[in-house]
Amino acid sequence: MNGRRRMASVLTAAVLLSILLAGAFEARAQEAAKTQAGTTSVAAPKGESAPPPRPPKERMAVAVLLAWVWVSIAVLIGILRLRVREADRVFRLGLRETGHKGFGGSGE
Amino acid sequence: MNAFRAWIEERLGLGAVTGFLERKEVPRHGHSFLYYTGSSILLFLGIQIATGVLLAFYYRPTLAEANASVARIATEIPLGWLVRSVHSWSATLMIAMVLVHLLGISFTKAYRKPREATWLTGILLLGVSLAFGFTGYLLPWDELSLAATKVGTDLPRAMPIVGTWLTRLMRAGDDVTGDTLSRFFIAHVSVLPLAILALLGAHLFLVQRHGMSVPLAEEKKGVKGPVLPFWPNFAYREAGVWLILLGTLLTMAVVFAPGLGSQADLMAPAPEGIKPEWYFLFMFQTLKLFPAKVLGLDGELVAVLVMAVGMGLFALLPFIDTRPAERKGRIITALVWAGLAYALGMSIWSLL
Repeated sequence: MNGRRRMASVLTAAVLLSILLAGAFEARAQEAAKTQAGTTSVAAPKGESAPPPRPPKERMAVAVLLAWVWVSIAVLIGILRLRVREADRVFRLGLRETGHKGFGGSGE
Repeated sequence: MNAFRAWIEERLGLGAVTGFLERKEVPRHGHSFLYYTGSSILLFLGIQIATGVLLAFYYRPTLAEANASVARIATEIPLGWLVRSVHSWSATLMIAMVLVHLLGISFTKAYRKPREATWLTGILLLGVSLAFGFTGYLLPWDELSLAATKVGTDLPRAMPIVGTWLTRLMRAGDDVTGDTLSRFFIAHVSVLPLAILALLGAHLFLVQRHGMSVPLAEEKKGVKGPVLPFWPNFAYREAGVWLILLGTLLTMAVVFAPGLGSQADLMAPAPEGIKPEWYFLFMFQTLKLFPAKVLGLDGELVAVLVMAVGMGLFALLPFIDTRPAERKGRIITALVWAGLAYALGMSIWSLL
């Protein structure tokens, strides 16, 4: 039960974080567009490295993709955690068919 | 499915590899997290190769087209800016991970007998990674990259005997020109990848040959410490780490996409605020601090020599610290900490 709760809280946190990131990213993109519109005549000082303009169609798509990536990562980590626990249990019970040799290789 | 597996096995004989992975064991202790740094470097290298190939489809390494082709990648090619940003950030994270890996090894004294050759291949891998960063920095061919490359390629000139030759070798002439750009591009996409793959092969072979090292404090606890099977127990954990790193990389690439300056002009004066990549900052700051003359000698020469000797000593650590594995080596630990504090301090100073 504890594990499920923990996983649910991790997932919720990941979803919230991804939404926050997506929102922050979109706000930043909008802010940049506003600034660009307001100061088109001001040239960047020589040598300064300005970020290249991004195709507007891609902005939102990438923000959503990023949110989905983090949600998928949270789900996959949850699954991996279950697999790790199972694999550790099998190993602890000695059901695995390999010798327990201790630390290191030939150099030890 | 079984028939397909048997067909593959009959032709490729992958059973030996899977059998090896099933038998392989990873020591389990308080410093086990250090084992993930090695595989994380492999992850970032894989990303570098994949994104590098994608960028090479559109990049043109000529004086007239280099900057414009990068601008085209960043603005016109679908998701080009993202691929470029991932390439740039994974390079940064790879070098950071290589440094963490090397520091972890030096603190745990894992370079000691019989792992001297493993350490040396690791140092060479660090050198190749830095060379990747140095050659890649020039490729956008903007004002900052040109100025930084001029400074960087001028450094070896201070060295006696081979200095001028080294500078000319890197620049393909006396000054940074279009030939330098071509040379850096070929080194970046052909020479260095071959070198890194060869060194990586040797490094991985040696790691498997000698097994994973165990920190002294953990080894003293018992003759047979706890272990974890590589497959599937460690591999699953490693997959989790890779997932988090991938997410972090993608987020950084989206939020902090690298910029692109205006096209470099070979005749223009150097712009203000030239700074190399973060991993060269401590050298940059050291050079700035050295006076023009030190005991009658050229200050730049002294600075280059002092740094070369320091790095040489670090590279030869296994041959300096030849004490038995059971010795703690507190002096070496203190020296490595001091070196790290110096590099960090100088880098921060340079940024301020």
